[in-house]
Amino acid sequence: MKRVIILISILAVTLLSSLVISFVAEITVPRSLRDLSKYYIANTIIDTASPESVAAIVWDYRGLDTVYETLVLYLAIVGGLAIFTIKGGFPRGEPMGLTELSRNATKIIVLLIATVSAAIAFHGHLTPGGGFPGGSALAVATMLIIPVYSVNILLEKGITSTKLVAIRGFALTGLGLVALLPVVKGLEIVTNQKFYPGFLNGVVISGSISLYNLLEFLAVASGFTAVALYLSIPEELYKGEVRD
Amino acid sequence: MKFVIEEFTYVLIICVLIINALISIYGIVYRRSLTKKLLSLTVLSDTVFVAIILAGFIFTYPIVPPVYSDIRGADKDFLLNHASDPLPQALVLTGIVIGLAVNALIAFGIIQVYRLTGTIDARKAVKSLLEEGVE
Repeated sequence: MKRVIILISILAVTLLSSLVISFVAEITVPRSLRDLSKYYIANTIIDTASPESVAAIVWDYRGLDTVYETLVLYLAIVGGLAIFTIKGGFPRGEPMGLTELSRNATKIIVLLIATVSAAIAFHGHLTPGGGFPGGSALAVATMLIIPVYSVNILLEKGITSTKLVAIRGFALTGLGLVALLPVVKGLEIVTNQKFYPGFLNGVVISGSISLYNLLEFLAVASGFTAVALYLSIPEELYKGEVRD
Repeated sequence: MKFVIEEFTYVLIICVLIINALISIYGIVYRRSLTKKLLSLTVLSDTVFVAIILAGFIFTYPIVPPVYSDIRGADKDFLLNHASDPLPQALVLTGIVIGLAVNALIAFGIIQVYRLTGTIDARKAVKSLLEEGVE
């Protein structure tokens, strides 16, 4: 009862305060864009060869911010995996998993998720999306496989945490190289159109933006899959480690 | 003094965001459970993201994403008048990913605290860790 009263009073305060403010104060809602945003939208195709302004800002106009932000993501996941490190490698056991029905349904769903995540990542320079959302979507597929098929199936198929961390390292090195390569020609770091081609055989690739999206897709997907693998290690093992 | 539905909606969203932020700050500060603190933190960060997106929203009809449908830029004038602001969207995109990674790190930390102390109550966990340190 007490909770219901608190909830109703919060709702009442929110509604009443917004009613009073919108009646009394002179509120003007924004109806046009700021000049900076207009610049980004007007020049995105000329500057970056990408029809998607958000991807252009993320990987070109403010590309250096995003490179450092990827470093934060990398360090956070490395920190998490460091806490969870156990002696003697990743434990393996007998695969268990759920029933045949849920397994078959999961097969279809995982295929769909993989396709959609690839579409999100590889069309990131043309449509809303990009490496981050695509990679996170692909990691969801692994998180679905772990409860339905058990983590041991993944390990048997060769998807181990060592390999995932290696893929992640490879993708991040590639990302750093794509950002640094223009320096060889005396251009600024994270240069796009002056160094990378915008079109390849008539197909829009938006220079480095599609490369960044591809590498970020690999880095995010492998990073979060590694996190999911480590989170699925049986609790007894860790308790033994802590006691030691 | 006049009532316009657009202005009321705008103010209502701002009020909801403020109240949401206050409740999540209460959760972070007063809740004892570390998991509930983490949940409150995610609600707070999502509230901030919605606030940033709201800063880039414009009240025109129709409102479209800032994406050209033509690589030659034929719909430039339409987009300049009807597209939402791309800059806050880009900031929020990177913010979400950093938030996800940091939340994963905090979740790892909470699991580790549970393993070491057997509780996720913040005060009991600190007490237990201090006692172990004294021994």
